[in-house]
Amino acid sequence: MTILEERPQLPFEAHEPSLMEIVPGPRPHGIVKFVTSTDHKQIGLNYLFTGLAGFVLAGLMALVMRTQLIVPNNHFVTENVYNEMFTIHGTIMLFVFAGPFAFAGFGNYLVPLMIGAPDMAFPRFNNLSYWLYLGGFSLLLAGFLTNNGAAQFGWFGYAPLTEAIHSPGPGADLWIVGIGLTGFSGIFTAVNIITTVFTLRAPGMVMFRMPIFVWNILVTMFLILLAFPVLTAAMALLWIDRHLGGNFYDATKGGQPILWQNLFWFFGHPEVYIIALPYFGIATEILATMSRKPVFGYKGMIAATLSIGALAMGVWAHHMYTTGAVLLPFFAAMSLLIAVPTGIKFFNWIGTMWRGTIVLNTAMLFCLGFLAMFLFGGITGVILAQPVLDFQLHNTYFVVAHFHYVLIGAVLAGFGGLYYWLPKMTGRKLSEKWGKLGFALLFIGFNLTFFPQHDLGLRGMPRRIETYNAGMGWNFLNELSSIGAYITALGVLVNAWNIFTSWRKGELAGDNPWDGQTLEWACSSPPPDHNFEALPPIRSERPVWDANHPDMLTKVGH
Amino acid sequence: MKVESRTVLGAFSFLTILAVVYWVLVALHGSSSERSGIAMLVFSFAAYALLGGYLLAQYLRRHGIPRAEDRFDATQEDGAGVIDYFPATSIWPAAMGLGMVFGACALVWGLWYLAIGAVLFFGAVFGWVTESDYTEDVLPGTDPDELAAAHGDFASTGAHHDH
Repeated sequence: MTILEERPQLPFEAHEPSLMEIVPGPRPHGIVKFVTSTDHKQIGLNYLFTGLAGFVLAGLMALVMRTQLIVPNNHFVTENVYNEMFTIHGTIMLFVFAGPFAFAGFGNYLVPLMIGAPDMAFPRFNNLSYWLYLGGFSLLLAGFLTNNGAAQFGWFGYAPLTEAIHSPGPGADLWIVGIGLTGFSGIFTAVNIITTVFTLRAPGMVMFRMPIFVWNILVTMFLILLAFPVLTAAMALLWIDRHLGGNFYDATKGGQPILWQNLFWFFGHPEVYIIALPYFGIATEILATMSRKPVFGYKGMIAATLSIGALAMGVWAHHMYTTGAVLLPFFAAMSLLIAVPTGIKFFNWIGTMWRGTIVLNTAMLFCLGFLAMFLFGGITGVILAQPVLDFQLHNTYFVVAHFHYVLIGAVLAGFGGLYYWLPKMTGRKLSEKWGKLGFALLFIGFNLTFFPQHDLGLRGMPRRIETYNAGMGWNFLNELSSIGAYITALGVLVNAWNIFTSWRKGELAGDNPWDGQTLEWACSSPPPDHNFEALPPIRSERPVWDANHPDMLTKVGH
Repeated sequence: MKVESRTVLGAFSFLTILAVVYWVLVALHGSSSERSGIAMLVFSFAAYALLGGYLLAQYLRRHGIPRAEDRFDATQEDGAGVIDYFPATSIWPAAMGLGMVFGACALVWGLWYLAIGAVLFFGAVFGWVTESDYTEDVLPGTDPDELAAAHGDFASTGAHHDH
């Protein structure tokens, strides 16, 4: 790493400082800054750390569940508490952590930096998005404080369990409005980021020079624009059912429970890609930088992202095979097709590393962990996409293991993103020693938790049961899984400790600690208000690399 | 704007084909509950038609003169000048967000909360729209003289060209 530090920092000519005229205004600090700031970097950090708080809380709920399941016939928590735990665990992980952490946290912070913009297109709107997100998060948690407790019907809230007669009390309503608010937040963020990418790029930053991360966020935002309004509409209908005597989902009054499933999964499957695509982008950036190479097959990567985004709109009913009310061949074919662009991405990631000068630091380790775990989750996804197999495995722990591999693969890339970009955000590097320990614990813990669950599913253990009898042959695998969960928790703790201590005392990072390639490394760490003193000329998809390595300019294909 | 509009219109085309194929298959073999999927796909491509059409109109409006961010050879000088008005700090988004959270509480615990929510929300709307009195000084294209001079030369709002 010493070689890197001796390299000159950005030898490009500084242009006249008044190239971009910015209206000066008051710059408060502390809590006032937290509440009123319209700076995309402050809002991005708010999202990142609120998301991490959600991750820790929902992770604690997972620990409660794994403790309950560690031995058969356990009575650690009651059935009702167990139901609340798995419902709010899933809801918070998806709506508060996995999605917004990447597309709103990293997206807000990095998209303007990567395209050379001074801020987001609608800075105040951006601030509003965060408050809706925090409000939604708070209302989801508020369910635990009500008399009947939080919602108990699982994160996808199937009808008729959600109807007032089966789920009385404000817990379910808080679940509805909590998700509704985070949904609005997502839509607002989408509008903001799309406008920013389309209208605020720096001169020369044509669409096909934007980093893959920005492209992935852009496609994610288009998915949000289609998916979240459907979810909000479904929630509105559910609320009408519960409070105004509607009967959209109530079969006893002539409604259709399947309608809820169609509406929910029309949101729910794009949501999987809303979560995954930003992490693909994060992984791509880290792999390219840490391999000292440009992204292999840049345009192929973009085509793959666009294909995944397009196909994601046509696969929603593969969650509903066993209802017997969906077109099995259509949805099976569409679901299997998605494996193709995802395969292209894997091919290109490997091509990016191929014969590169690989720097095996913590960020890169997390990325490699992501590749391994996401690949595994993808393969079990192909298994589940086939109706013949899904009829056997539906609603078993095999499904639980599948989507945890997918999502935790994504989360590993997210941790890699923290190790990669926190030096830009705070000016200080995270400790490599603690980071590698944290990675090892997380990787071993995750795999130990979820690998045995595949076998549990094959042995017929259904998801969402709060206990089981000793004679089912599930004891040892559940024990392994729970031990893995504790190791994972230890890993999260180590990483949290690392972030906490490095924030003030870490090694100074400098402007460009990794010899990065994209524009965010052209400004100081942390970046000043409105981001750039000067921009390097943008002649390829990695302008900062070109400025720092004039002897190794990026080849351009046009 | 060319790549932008083509991206969205491409998604529009795909969704249209998807909706037609799905519609036909549902009509032939599907169950009645799948009509909701048809409706959602139709509204999806309609939404993208709207957005893609707007972007295409923006592209055509410029008569082939690219913006600085659409030119491969643009330099930083081409982007010189005022970009936009970026408000520094504002309390109104937080107030509006709190108003909307109270509105959400009204859906859970009763309309009583809506009173607080509405006051906060509409107060915030008022504060928000009256806050930016910089508009006339700062926003490009709002000065009448500049607009008259720029008429017919759309590039003058962002990029300078030496044809």
